[in-house]
Amino acid sequence: MDNFKYFKPQNFKELLNVKYDLSSAGFPLAGGSNLLIYIKEKSIRSGTLIDITSLKELRGIKKTGDTIEIGAAETISGILESKVLENELPFFSVSMRDFANPLIRNKATIGGNMADASPVADTAPPLLVLDAKVVAASKSGIREIPANEFFSGPGKNNLSKDEIIQKINIPVPERGSGIFLKLGQRKGTSISVTSVAVWIVNDSNKITGIRISLGGVAPVPIRAVNAEKAFSGKIIDENNITALAETLKEDIKPISDLRGSAEYRTAVSINLLKRAILTCLKTEE
Amino acid sequence: MGEKEYYNIKLTVNGKVVTGSVRAEISLLDFLRDNNYIEVKKGCDKGDCGACTVLIDGKATVSCLTSALQAQGKNIYTLKSLGSWDKLHPLQKAFVKYEALQCGFCTPGMLMTAKALLDTNPHPARESIKEAISGNLCRCTGYRKIVDAIEAVGRGEL
Ligand code: FES
Ligand code: FES
Repeated sequence: MDNFKYFKPQNFKELLNVKYDLSSAGFPLAGGSNLLIYIKEKSIRSGTLIDITSLKELRGIKKTGDTIEIGAAETISGILESKVLENELPFFSVSMRDFANPLIRNKATIGGNMADASPVADTAPPLLVLDAKVVAASKSGIREIPANEFFSGPGKNNLSKDEIIQKINIPVPERGSGIFLKLGQRKGTSISVTSVAVWIVNDSNKITGIRISLGGVAPVPIRAVNAEKAFSGKIIDENNITALAETLKEDIKPISDLRGSAEYRTAVSINLLKRAILTCLKTEE
Repeated sequence: MGEKEYYNIKLTVNGKVVTGSVRAEISLLDFLRDNNYIEVKKGCDKGDCGACTVLIDGKATVSCLTSALQAQGKNIYTLKSLGSWDKLHPLQKAFVKYEALQCGFCTPGMLMTAKALLDTNPHPARESIKEAISGNLCRCTGYRKIVDAIEAVGRGEL
């Protein structure tokens, strides 16, 4: 028999205590756009919904030194409306424009999207190329987990049972430009088939630094280290870009499912990567 | 063991205070429908169709994925806040004039999304309208007439 409880901690300390006490039976509830689905689908049958929406430690988008801090309970709409992001890191706000649809953006949160650890989580590739850190908090303290090491499998993350995501820290890059491209089945659905984010530092057509991340082509969102190696230091033109982009095959492990075959995903991700890199090189000129 | 817990809830729907007692996992959609706000439609019940769209503190969102208890103390607006038979809201008039509905199932949600859009952007361009309603599915009209209707209200035609 399904049996749920609801608890709204009055402050951050109470949240950390209750998460410690309840351990894996305590589910942080922010926007609810994932959790309520799991409850309806009965993949979660019991537990306590811990309402975290109004705790100030989990809210706000601000710049401290060279780091932008985004509270875990900030919605995607909040990210899109943030002046701090618009001014300091427009790449990240622009990346969130195609997140699901406006109705979902008004409730889905950055912490929830990361914690959910979907292979196609739309916040992940942009955060991975930005070398963002997930700030995890528990009764015993705070630790930073690199976004790239945060996921452990489809729907699984590396938080311990007593931890919650407090915020996401993004170091503001000194140079470079980024782009996030995704291929979904239909505008407005929450799920993309394949997505690619790149962050490039370049000197005209020469790539001096590059970070590449993909969603939907492996059990978790990944950094494409082989492709990064292939591209870095290269002068890019129409003739060599295809061969370079094909090194992506060593990074990805796509599967076939309802939304597309493995071959399709491979071809799509190579094309998206080429387009992303060419677009970045153009905007930098 | 096995005994379900209930929690007191109090929120404002269309300007009227509504109270009740709900289970932890109840959605705002089920709470509203149980309280006779049946103008809020239940389509997919998982966030994909937008039929259940309401305004929460001015923002359009899906009530099926909103926890009722999280709506505690909030201002909720449903379709019935827009207009009545004798006094239709301009959006409702436009939907009739432009034949922006057939079966009508998507209409309550579509109208609330359009209302939230016009509240923040009174003269939206077609592209903004399409973007705004991208979470509201309509299997009948093909959307063009819906966009026409909302655009007409933005122009001040109704
Ligand atoms: S019923 Fe809520 S989105 Fe379909
Ligand atoms: S009018 Fe039938 S679904 Fe829109």
